[in-house]
Parts: sequence; structure tokens; C-alpha cells
Amino acid sequence: MTLRGLGFDPLRPLGALLFLGLWQAASASMAPIMLPSPWSVVKRASADFWSAPSLAYYGVEDPSLFGNLVYTSENVAIAVLVGASLGALVGLAASRVWLVRALVNPIMLTAGTAPIIIAAPFLLIWFGVGRASAVSLVAFYVATILYLFAERAARNLDPIYEHSALTLGAGPRRLIRDILIPATVPELLGGFRIALAGAWGLEAVSELLGAQSGIGKVLEVLAGATDAQGILASLILLGVVALAADACAAALIARFAAWSAAGAQRL
Amino acid sequence: MTSQRMIEFVHVRREYRRADGAHVTAVDDVSLIVPEGEFVCLIGPSGCGKSTLLQLLAGLDAPTSGSIVLKAKEIEGPGPERGMVFQRDSVFPWMRVIDNVEYGLKCRGVRAPERRRIARDYLARVGLTHVEGAWPRELSGGMLKRVAIAAVFANGGEVLLLDEPFGALDYVTRRQLHDVLLALWDTPGATRRTVLFVTHDVDEALTLADRIVVMHSGRIADDIPIAAMRPRNDDTLATPEIIAIKHKLLAHLGLQTKGAHA
Repeated sequence: MTLRGLGFDPLRPLGALLFLGLWQAASASMAPIMLPSPWSVVKRASADFWSAPSLAYYGVEDPSLFGNLVYTSENVAIAVLVGASLGALVGLAASRVWLVRALVNPIMLTAGTAPIIIAAPFLLIWFGVGRASAVSLVAFYVATILYLFAERAARNLDPIYEHSALTLGAGPRRLIRDILIPATVPELLGGFRIALAGAWGLEAVSELLGAQSGIGKVLEVLAGATDAQGILASLILLGVVALAADACAAALIARFAAWSAAGAQRL
Repeated sequence: MTSQRMIEFVHVRREYRRADGAHVTAVDDVSLIVPEGEFVCLIGPSGCGKSTLLQLLAGLDAPTSGSIVLKAKEIEGPGPERGMVFQRDSVFPWMRVIDNVEYGLKCRGVRAPERRRIARDYLARVGLTHVEGAWPRELSGGMLKRVAIAAVFANGGEVLLLDEPFGALDYVTRRQLHDVLLALWDTPGATRRTVLFVTHDVDEALTLADRIVVMHSGRIADDIPIAAMRPRNDDTLATPEIIAIKHKLLAHLGLQTKGAHA
């Protein structure tokens, strides 16, 4: 797997500028209600950041973009931590224990191919419109990805490392701690990064389908009010947070996968 | 032999079924005694069972019948008293060089300062002091072999198993590693480890071994002591006796010999 774009690329700010230029040009030829200009969106984002009374009017619990960003980010953080730990552990276990693989593989392979969002209505029935519904959906999605990455990474691990450790005197516990886990960390972190990127979108969509808070809820009410400026302002803020989270994941990869080619690209 | 017997293969057989259903006897009734401190090279054509024999002794595989005895105790599974250097790279890429050399000692509960001292000593002996903090991916193939050799020697096993360790290396690197290996094995004042070294390189076997065991179709076809004095060099290996042995070995490998002694 290549992790391009981990390091600083001088073309990236240029690409962002090109995007802004195109946006500006397009907005000049369209009505602001269809496509507001970039500058007006930035002003709207800063105006609504701490306090947005219009959101209270539409029934959003916390009438500020900041509060809803925090709500969404918290949900993503919980879901990603729980889902990633569970998925990685079960995936590693499945690679070495036949029974675990036999039990879990059918579920995970199905979940890995079907769009997971179809489970959303079901989760709403179970958990209602609160946090639990969105968090469990995202956690399940993250767990599926990490399971597939962990299982594959552990299965593809050259047995020579385990053999070598055994002849050096390692026992079963050391095989897991010193060989299986560190050897699969670069792939696990790669999967983590992909899952994290997808988690933001899935969290927002699940909030769209039924929640009282969160950026998804904000998007839903603003769409109802055909407020293109507000929608873009919310999306851009969500994008900034997601980019920051991705940068943290990339830093994690650089730190814990320095020994592998994937980690080395960052050095 | 006056020295104590270290390894004993007693009527060892290893059979398995290949993926295509064919029945294969990799090791066929092998009995062999290796005294303590002896450097034995196992030589033979591909598929003759020499690597399987080593895997069995390492405990990474179990015989179908027969037994393998190490110092009067039958072996059951791998153990640190039998260190192994593999043909392919087995150095852990996620540990720095020094941590790789320390790993066996760490498994055995040796305290950190002591194992670092031992690891540094062996890294110095294989000439890798300058890369102790490097990642394995930063090292050449020959250097990785030096790390693997340092790791098994540092771990202090009485028996060292080397499975075509230098097969993938270039001629110059291979000869340098022969010197490194022999210097570690024949350290003045230290007990010589018992070595089983699998190779299909006749010159390598003649350079290293006290004794060359030839395998063919899973059986021992010949067992030849090498009396040449040590340290050996191109001249000491050019005696009529050694050349005669070389022709014999080449014939075992199915090669036409082209020398005057053929």
C-alpha cells in the first residue's frame, strides 16, 4: 500500500489555490443562494462558530458550529477507538485461531462488501436517535476495516519470524507481543487511517438520518432551509477537523512504523 | 571419538503428503551421532532432506518416527540451546540491530545492562558496532546475516544450526562470512559450539567442516572426516587428499569432475 502525500508536497497549496479560484469564478456567475463565494462562506463559518441563533430556531440542541463539531468529533473518536481495538484484536486472533476465523469471517466479509449505512435504520430502532446509534454504526464500520487489515497482515506475515523467535527462546506470549503485533502495526495503522477518513462521512450521514446534535444534524436543517452558505461553512469546518485528525494518524504511522517502508516515506 | 555425544539422530523418518496427494519421504531412517564441538556440514542435492533434518533438530518440525536426542534428552519443540540461522532473512525488521542481537537473551530473562554488554560484544565480533542503532532495512544482505549470526551466538546455544545461510550472497561476502563464523566458533579459551551447517557448496563445506555428511534421497550416503588443519586457506585445501574428497563430493552431487584425479 502506498501512502502518498504523507510528506510535504509543494503542489498541495497550489491545488488548494486552484480549487478556490475555480470556486470563486463559478460563484461569480451563479446566484449566491446556489453557490456562495468562498469569502462569504469563511465569514459565515466564523460568525456561526461560537453562536448560531438560527440553529436554535431549527431545533438543533447546541446552537453553535463549534458545539456540533465537538459532538461529531467525540462520536468519531469513541467509535474509532472502540472499533479499531476490537477489529484489530479479533482480526489478529482470527489469523491464528481457526475457530475464531470460522465464526467471524462470514460476518466481517459480508459487512466488508455491503454498504454499512443500510444498518442505520436498524440501529435507530435499537438505540434511538442519541449518540449510541451513530457511534455503534461507525464503530462497526471501523472494526470491519481493521479486522480485514489485521487478519490479512497477520496471515501474510512470513512464518520465518515466528520460527526465528521460537529458536531464540520466545514463548507464545512473546510471539504475540514481540512478533505478531509489531510486525502488523504498519498495516494496522494504514487501515486505521483509511477507516478514520471514512468515519467522518459515515458519522455525518448517520446524524443526518436522525440525531439531535452534530454536524450531520446541522447539515440536515440547513438543507431544509436551502442555506447553501451555511452548508458549505459546516462542511469546510468538518473537513478541517478531519484533515487535522488525518495528520495525527500520519504522525502515528511515522512514529510506530519507522522501521518499515511505509513509515520510512515520512522520514 | 572421545568427546561427549551432543546430538543423536535415532532412525529418524519424516514423511508427508504433498499438496498434490503424493507421498514423500523427506528423511528416510537417518541415524547419526554428532560429538560436542564438532562442525558438521550436511551436503547433498536439492530435495535430499538436509534442510528437513535441520528443521527436525530445531524442533520446528517433528519426525514421523524415530527420535532426536540432545545431550541424552529427547527434543520436543524448539529451544534456545539450539540456535538457528535461516537461509532467508530472519532478522526482525521492527527491531533495531542491537535489539535483534539481544532478543534471545531478553526471552531468557537476562537483565538489560548485561544483555546489552553481551550484544555489543558480539556485534563487535561480527564487525557491526557502527550500525547497532540502525533498522535492518538499512543493512545489506551480508550485514543482515552477520546480525543473525551475532544473535544466535549471543544467545549462547550449545548447538548452532545453519540452513544454507550464505546461499544467496555473493562470493566475496560469503568468504568473509566464513571467516566471521569460524572466528566465533573457534574463539580461544571458549568451548566450541556444535555446528550443523547445511550447504550445497562443496568448497564451503571443505572450508568449514570437521566432517561432511552427504545426503541423498533422504538417506545418509556418505560420512567423510576432513582432517585438513585450521585455519584453512586455498593452499591447505589444495592437498591431494582434499582434492580427492572434493571429487568424491562432486560425484555425490551428480556432477562430472574435470580434474586430474577424476
